[in-house]
Amino acid sequence: MGTIAGTAYEKMLELSGIRPLKGETEDEICERGMAEIERKMAEKQAHFEQDARRVADILEVVMALAELNYTRKAELSEKSDYIDGLAAGINMLGEELKGSTVSLHEKEVLLKEVHHRVKNNLQVISSLLNLQADQISEPVFREKYLTGRDRILSMALVHEKLYESKDFSLVDFNDYTQSLARSLNLSYNPDSARIRLETVTAAGTAGMFHIETAIPCGLILNELISNCFKYAFPGERSGTVTVRFDAAEKEDGIEYLLGVSDDGIGLPEGMEEKKEETLGMQLIEMLSGQINGSLSINGKKGTDISVRFMLKAD
Amino acid sequence: MIETRVFFTSMHPKGYIHTKVKPGSEISREDARTNTEAVLTISEGKNFPILVDLRQIKSISKEARDHFSMRGRKPHVTAIAMLVSSPVSRIIGNFFLGLNKPTVPTRMFTSEPDAERWIRKTLAE
Repeated sequence: MGTIAGTAYEKMLELSGIRPLKGETEDEICERGMAEIERKMAEKQAHFEQDARRVADILEVVMALAELNYTRKAELSEKSDYIDGLAAGINMLGEELKGSTVSLHEKEVLLKEVHHRVKNNLQVISSLLNLQADQISEPVFREKYLTGRDRILSMALVHEKLYESKDFSLVDFNDYTQSLARSLNLSYNPDSARIRLETVTAAGTAGMFHIETAIPCGLILNELISNCFKYAFPGERSGTVTVRFDAAEKEDGIEYLLGVSDDGIGLPEGMEEKKEETLGMQLIEMLSGQINGSLSINGKKGTDISVRFMLKAD
Repeated sequence: MIETRVFFTSMHPKGYIHTKVKPGSEISREDARTNTEAVLTISEGKNFPILVDLRQIKSISKEARDHFSMRGRKPHVTAIAMLVSSPVSRIIGNFFLGLNKPTVPTRMFTSEPDAERWIRKTLAE
């Protein structure tokens, strides 16, 4: 046998692990050796495929954990090898994560409960003011109670929208504007025949506010809408109140517009200049400042009051 | 020696508790509690260090890990030496050194004589 052939023969014996039998020809040894090598390779392949399946199973558990699904567990074999070690580690990590997620869920429940209770308490206060108002015969004083009631209700509505929201931290102000306008319309304009209400909300997904923005904006809207219903259409005068909430993307953030206009009698002479005269206007001025907004008042042809403010992009 | 579903527990002549996990054991909270009862019975109310042979363990539940971490209760051992060898036992040992850390000194060993030496050192301190 030549050197190369001899080396190949020796390699075949080494790889197959067989030993030549007595009386066995070289061809027979080669045939038996090659068959053994093939059997060993098939066995290795089968092991490799089995390990690949075990790793794939572990990866699926990892993916399930990433989706906060803790029901899946990686299977452990009897081998107690590195793949089993990995599977055991992933299973235990999932159990630890599950514990943390439950506490996160509990915090969410608590937060929802807090908003619910604040809303209920504010509603109780507003009901008390309502009952108190019923006891007062003097219209001027009665109205003051009812105005206070509406201010409190506008804040209660923020908390209501918060506990209805997905993460209990953002209020959909499009939805809030619609609800507040509807509620004030029912309160001041129950038959809806004389004063028509139009609400235009076009801020879309940009109109999601945290509580520190939602509360002042809600109070501003409450003042503006209720003022229209109370003062713009005296006697039997009819007309339209338009409520607008809009957003426009700017270079350094989003600019919002909160506006209420009507085609009523307009503002009294000099009101535009002395905008701090009534408590309602003082509140609007103060709340606009709180959100760094600029207030614009036009009372010549009906009334059009709007607040523009910017929220910087996160 | 006390034999439970998944442990063999005994008092070692050198003055520590020795507990060995049976091959392929999957330890539950109940198994962990039973082990603590066995340790308390053997130690007759005194506190000793413990050598835990985890080398043939298959798995351990979170409840059992929490139990062995002894958080929120008086520890019934003074120190824990974990004996590991397989990848599974190593990862379980590492969980006890990290996420489920017991309230008493705990170390992991791959050699039984090293584990014993450390335990004897804790006895001397």
